Amino acid sequence: MKTSRTSLLTAAGLLVLGAAAAFLAGRSFLSMRAAEAIHPAPGLTRQALLSDYFPALAGTPGDTDVYVFEGPEAGGTVLVTGGAHPNEPAGFIAAVVLVENLRALRGRVVVIPRANASGFTCNDPQEANPQRFTVPSRSGPRQFRLGSRLSNPVHQWPDPTLYENPAGQMLSASEVRNLNRCYPGRPRGYLTERTAFGIMEVIRRERVDLGIDLHESAPEYPVINAIVFHDDSAELAALAQMSLQDEGLDFRLEASPQNLRGLSHREWGDAAGIKALLIETPNPVQGRLKGRTTAALVVEGKDKAYLKAARLGRLFVPYDEKGIPLEERVARHLAAISAILRSQAEVDPAKAVEVEGLPGRAGILEDGLGPFLR
Amino acid sequence: MKLFRLIAGATAAAAALALLPVVAAQPGAAQGPVFDPPMLVTSAGQSPDVQLAVVLAKRAGIETKLAKLAAAKDLEGAGTLGLVVGASLKGLGAAGLDTAKEKARVQALLAEAARRKIPVLFLHLGGEQRRGELTDAMVAEYLPAARMAVIVKSADGDGLFSKICWARGIPLVAVEKTAEAAEVLKSAFKPKA
Repeated sequence: MKTSRTSLLTAAGLLVLGAAAAFLAGRSFLSMRAAEAIHPAPGLTRQALLSDYFPALAGTPGDTDVYVFEGPEAGGTVLVTGGAHPNEPAGFIAAVVLVENLRALRGRVVVIPRANASGFTCNDPQEANPQRFTVPSRSGPRQFRLGSRLSNPVHQWPDPTLYENPAGQMLSASEVRNLNRCYPGRPRGYLTERTAFGIMEVIRRERVDLGIDLHESAPEYPVINAIVFHDDSAELAALAQMSLQDEGLDFRLEASPQNLRGLSHREWGDAAGIKALLIETPNPVQGRLKGRTTAALVVEGKDKAYLKAARLGRLFVPYDEKGIPLEERVARHLAAISAILRSQAEVDPAKAVEVEGLPGRAGILEDGLGPFLR
Repeated sequence: MKLFRLIAGATAAAAALALLPVVAAQPGAAQGPVFDPPMLVTSAGQSPDVQLAVVLAKRAGIETKLAKLAAAKDLEGAGTLGLVVGASLKGLGAAGLDTAKEKARVQALLAEAARRKIPVLFLHLGGEQRRGELTDAMVAEYLPAARMAVIVKSADGDGLFSKICWARGIPLVAVEKTAEAAEVLKSAFKPKA
């Protein structure tokens, strides 16, 4: 009898512990739905939501902020997207730095820092990734979410067995939640397809001339430290690459394959007729060869396993004891954007876009990201 | 005496080899304008670096026609064949080519250029990043056919280009930065008649 009562108490205790663990884990999971604040620079002229361009997104997890900076002089319009893959933090943070520092002098800059807002509400399953990382700012440490490459499965369940994307390419099932395989989108499709359609609507309604999509890739992946260009943007990409080389930054050129469909650098050009470029920087939290993934790794970029891989010649980027910190990757993105804008002015002066307040690479490397985040 | 001669010979050869990259890579190795416009620019290996060549030629004011998959007929009217060497498996795949098909195309093009007496300007513009087994094989195969070569210096760390150019008497210009190649092209081309 005594043994039976003890067993019941043990079982009840375990159930309570299990329920508490589930409650805490669930609360932690749901906490990723709270978006981090972005504090726009005084140069912001208009803030909108993606649903203002495509109302079907209103009230959905795909809706996201759109920031517009309009200069006093007429010029071109450039769209910059970060966070298409929310597990690629440098692209996201670079877009946030743009929003918090930019002032347009000529033409317009449209920035969407969290292009796939749904992907920010969870992180990649089975990766043991941290949910957040901390970056210093003028007002103290700020936390940002490290999301998932794909949209939250809860938001568009279930995935199909095979996925034929809007551009007609057959892909594996989970790619239905990959924003950068869903262009040019479908107005009545899955949430991610509708998000892609919303971004295409931004391109059409804002009369965007040039789109720059900010990404990162694993150090062991060959398309890295790269400018990927649509056929119609070849000259722009080549000029930008040479300009960056003059600054001591090596970027490789990668042509957007015509048979790889659904990606921004292909469909923005094909479907909307704009110049389309995608920037890749090296992300030490993304690949297979990394060691333990921590918030420190996101920010500092130091990893013993990658160091060993570099010594064995397995990486496509230089990697040493200094790692590849977030600030260096953000600085590369911003340097690339500057170079592209300069090149755009050379290729098509009537569509030039001039800005001020964009932090220089030297400043970021010297002072960190802190002074450039409000 | 025999041993002395052997040692002296070996020392001289070693010294010459050590100097190779420096001598062959001297910009002074280029000799005035040798090429006629227009230049047909094509890729050997389908890397995107071919776009760099087009931009450089534009900056240099050289009339250019880009044909990434140029065939013998594209040489009609060309004064120069600009061969941009750099292998990209992604580029080859996107073009629906494999290595063998690409090599056959380039060999046929070079043979036709030789038959028409059209000089070949060899360009390797991707620097160290655009080296690799496949690219190196193409360099070894196509560089000897060049009238002149322009490369980004970082690609020649092991002297691959300078050794071939030295051995074949091909003027080689190695620039520190890709953009500097525009001036080299400008001085290598005769003014448009």
